Amino acid sequence: MLNKLALGGIRSRFRDYAVLFSGLVISGAIFYMFMALATNSEFIAKNAPVTGANFIFMFGAVLLAIITLVYIVYANTFLMSMRQRDYAMFIMLGAKSNKIGQLIFLETVLIGLMATAVGVIVGIGLTVVTANILMAQLHAPLIGFSGFYLPAVLSTFAFFIVLFVIAAFFNQRRLLKTPILQLLHADQTPNRIKQKRIWFIIQIVGAVVLLAIGYAAMIYIKFFQLLAIPLALVTIVAGTYFLFNSLFVGLIALLKRQERFANKGIRMFTLSQLSFRIRDYTKILSVVAMLFALALGAITIGIGFNHEIPLMASSQSKYDVVLHNPSTNLIRQAEGLTDATKVSYNQKIVGENVYYVDTQVKAHPFLVPKVTGLGESTTRTLNAGAINKDDGSAAMALNEFIPNAREVKTPKVVSAAVFASLKGQTNTIVTYRVPDFVQQYDRIKALVAADDKANKVNTSIPMMNSKFTAYEVINGMFSGLEFMGFFLGLAFLAMLASTLMFKILSGAAYDKSRYLMLQKVGVRPGLLRKSIRQEIGALFLLPGLVGVVHVLFGLQLFRTLMANPYDRIWIPFTIFIVLYALYYGLTVWLYQSIVINKQLAAK
Amino acid sequence: MADQPVVVVDQVTKTYGKPNEKQYQALKGINLTVNKGEFVGIMGASGSGKTTLLNILSTLDAPTSGQVTINGQDVTQLRGNQLSDFRAKQIGFIFQDFNLLENLTARENITLPLSLQNVSARQARGAVDKIATTLGIKGVLGHYPTELSGGQKQRVAAARALVQEPAILFGDEPTGALDSTSARELLNTMETLNQDQGVSILLVTHDPFSASYAQRILFIKDGQIGQELVHGDKTQEEFYQEILSTLGTFQQ
Ligand SMILES: Nc1ncnc2c1ncn2[C@@H]1O[C@H](COP(=O)(O)OP(=O)(O)OP(=O)(O)O)[C@@H](O)[C@H]1O
Ligand SMILES: [Mg+2]
Repeated sequence: MLNKLALGGIRSRFRDYAVLFSGLVISGAIFYMFMALATNSEFIAKNAPVTGANFIFMFGAVLLAIITLVYIVYANTFLMSMRQRDYAMFIMLGAKSNKIGQLIFLETVLIGLMATAVGVIVGIGLTVVTANILMAQLHAPLIGFSGFYLPAVLSTFAFFIVLFVIAAFFNQRRLLKTPILQLLHADQTPNRIKQKRIWFIIQIVGAVVLLAIGYAAMIYIKFFQLLAIPLALVTIVAGTYFLFNSLFVGLIALLKRQERFANKGIRMFTLSQLSFRIRDYTKILSVVAMLFALALGAITIGIGFNHEIPLMASSQSKYDVVLHNPSTNLIRQAEGLTDATKVSYNQKIVGENVYYVDTQVKAHPFLVPKVTGLGESTTRTLNAGAINKDDGSAAMALNEFIPNAREVKTPKVVSAAVFASLKGQTNTIVTYRVPDFVQQYDRIKALVAADDKANKVNTSIPMMNSKFTAYEVINGMFSGLEFMGFFLGLAFLAMLASTLMFKILSGAAYDKSRYLMLQKVGVRPGLLRKSIRQEIGALFLLPGLVGVVHVLFGLQLFRTLMANPYDRIWIPFTIFIVLYALYYGLTVWLYQSIVINKQLAAK
Repeated sequence: MADQPVVVVDQVTKTYGKPNEKQYQALKGINLTVNKGEFVGIMGASGSGKTTLLNILSTLDAPTSGQVTINGQDVTQLRGNQLSDFRAKQIGFIFQDFNLLENLTARENITLPLSLQNVSARQARGAVDKIATTLGIKGVLGHYPTELSGGQKQRVAAARALVQEPAILFGDEPTGALDSTSARELLNTMETLNQDQGVSILLVTHDPFSASYAQRILFIKDGQIGQELVHGDKTQEEFYQEILSTLGTFQQ
């Protein structure tokens, strides 16, 4: 009988439950995705040549667990807000309260279990898809990584079951301890909130000072050394919280006081909605801003490394492909390279020396890298004179010209007549330079493989002397890190945006009557939609903006690891903002479909 | 032209339920007229169709057939934004459960309809002060709804309904949630508004005492207007007795 009641309750509020359920499924899926990576220590060890990688993942797991916890608490509040009236009604009608208690427990745990099960399945699917996309993009075979990973499944279930059982106890206690009348009239919003002016000013000043300290710690990392990161973390978290709690609240209050601005359309209503919300939202907005920064930072760093790898490979060689005595077939195949600059040289190897013809070198001097910094190099041109009185660096750089090179030989440039008189076989060396190495990666890979095969190169001992081998080695080292950066970033983004979305949607049930009332009074539905777009827009925009600023300063931390962490920063920012905007659109759409009623007469 | 009726209802029917579902005809051909400056009451048993009628009059719901004309405008022809705008400008509405926005102060609640029409802030302030003085809520304009008594809330709701000077004020049991003193105060205020400011009022009520404030009472039964009582020169006490006895016979 009671079970029937519980199910009936679910059926009657199907849409609300659908929102709740899909939210929980998303959080379960993301948690699983993350766990699939974090619990796979073998994979981490193989793919992250950094000793701290395991630690990074533990840190990430803790953060994700905290945000999931926050998420579940909100979801649970939402569940309770839907059910407490019904339960209070049952009790009033004479249902035994311990029976009701059982019912609540059952319902909470059941929903949690179902959501986790579906979430894990979705998570497995998502993991496979994301991993495949990333692997293809990064040219990185991720050894030991799989979509289905049992320890991840187990830990996800364990984590969520514990959370839901706690939530169930909490719900049970709360319903049974709260007076019935209060439960029946729970949807009244609190009224005026007073804040002392002094406290307000202290918070604003505190926010500015704390953020300044945090940013400074990141900029002057050389000075602060190891202290920089914990210092920045603490001050920025606290600063962000104060910022939301004071500055934004103050800003809205200020706007409300500008009568000429506020008394237009339903601006006053929008602002009031926001000011009531923001206080309720300070914690979540701060968390969202922090996570936003972490996620965006992770993706930016991931993409930064991705961009850095060809640059590092470029410090190894300025030629994208070098073919040794290529067959006509291979030459034809090489014609498939787009926009390639092709230069050929004749070469004779005699003893410890490698000879080139001066007219050819004069027409096309050799190009060798001159390393200027981490992942930074300029192109140095080597003409005959420079080669003949070289100190050995040219020899190193030009080593890739020697077929199946196993040792360094000295390059010499001689006249055509001398060259002709030398004994030995004449090699033809064909070099190609393309505008974008990574873009033509697949073709280059095929050419290099064919060339290696023709020259019987033992590829199991890579000689890091061509651009391609350099790229492969460096990419092998960093792609694991990149992958984790992307993965971490996307998981956090999905989680933070879902949490925000969920928090907003969980208020929709309360707002329904307000929007209905506004429509009755004659507010155009279009105007209401606009108000919703603006209100939710502000809730998404504020933490987003703060997060972006945090990242811009946070990238300073990586100046020691990367040539320029800010290079091509628009790529991760665009990806991130597009995804975030999608979440925003979805939230607005769901919210509008909940609160804007077509049937006005219906109460 | 000057004396055209504010509300004209012509052969209005309302059938609930889709054609293939179980149907119920709540209104079976209603005709009525409210003249400018009139205070008309509508009474009837529970389920007789009062709320249905009022929802149609206030354009919250559409009739199945028939015509409703308010201030010369056939409202059944209005669509979408026109409907919203019409409600905003021409119709004032007081609901039983106040329907104030709890996140706005009383003043902000009352200002809302003016903001919708982009009335300047200064003008709005003047208009709100004026109507608040009339309704005796000047002192509580800064309060949030949770800081108001039931009677005050209903006056704020009335102020909000009247601030844009609508063609007519509709009330569906506006005294329903009030104690007798607050109810009496609200009714007195409505009477003053009607007599001094010429506000046209259509009031739906169960309560014979509330109804006795009207100049004319229409009794609705099973979706049709059954009987009409006119206040005329009778005292309120006499009219009240007449209503009571009519209810006794009418409801059999
Ligand atoms: N949305 C609806 N769908 C189907 N039937 C409805 C709907 N709304 C009202 N009814 C029916 O129409 C009839 C008239 O209802 P209405 O709400 O107008 O009554 P009322 O006179 O206002 O009653 P009360 O005095 O109790 O408020 C009732 O029999 C009711 O069951
Ligand atoms: Mg009714």
